[in-house]
Amino acid sequence: MSAVPKTIVASALLALALPALAASGDAEVGRKKSAACQACHGPNGMSVSAEFPNLAGQHPDYLAAAVRHYKNGKRKNAIMQAQVANLSERDIADLTAYFASQQGLAVKY
Amino acid sequence: MHPIRALACACLAAGALAASAADNNKITIQNRIAQCQGCHGIPGWKTAFPEVYSVPKLGGQNRAYIIAALKAYKSGERDFATMRAIAADLSDKDMEEVAAYYGAAPARTAAAPAASAGEKK
Repeated sequence: MSAVPKTIVASALLALALPALAASGDAEVGRKKSAACQACHGPNGMSVSAEFPNLAGQHPDYLAAAVRHYKNGKRKNAIMQAQVANLSERDIADLTAYFASQQGLAVKY
Repeated sequence: MHPIRALACACLAAGALAASAADNNKITIQNRIAQCQGCHGIPGWKTAFPEVYSVPKLGGQNRAYIIAALKAYKSGERDFATMRAIAADLSDKDMEEVAAYYGAAPARTAAAPAASAGEKK
């Protein structure tokens, strides 16, 4: 195999692997990145004000979708847009894994 | 029967019919909550293509946040077609009752550190 196709194959494999990496965050790493989140959403994911949503135990893919919507402007909130502007996909995965791992919200029927 | 009296009778009858139809079609808060449960009450339920993610858990969520979210959907500020359609039909009282069903107690004063508490947008 020549060098060029190898590069292409490697790039294609990496492109396939990236979403999988992004999907599984590290909750412990997320905890270390979460100081700014905790200021409003609480150290245990239960918010300091009823105006802010509790995050503890929420589905991580819902939280990630919300963060992306703040980033791309689909969802508008001045505080949240500023907070998430510089988060990478890796950061989003770690942070959402952290809050999802906490005890709090439940599917209520 | 005098024409005016006949007209009055007809109007009263029509009014009574309309009132009884309204009673039969009365939407209760249980009906409203049943509408929520169709998605939010099913473990593992997700949104539809093209953007697929879990519908959020509502049990234990803050009441004020639930009401604010419903109002944002109703006004069009928050954009999700299903929730817009549902919130459009909710009164402020409906929203409070739905929030009371799902929500946690509004006050949470014990754990909040004074420095970071109470910052509102």
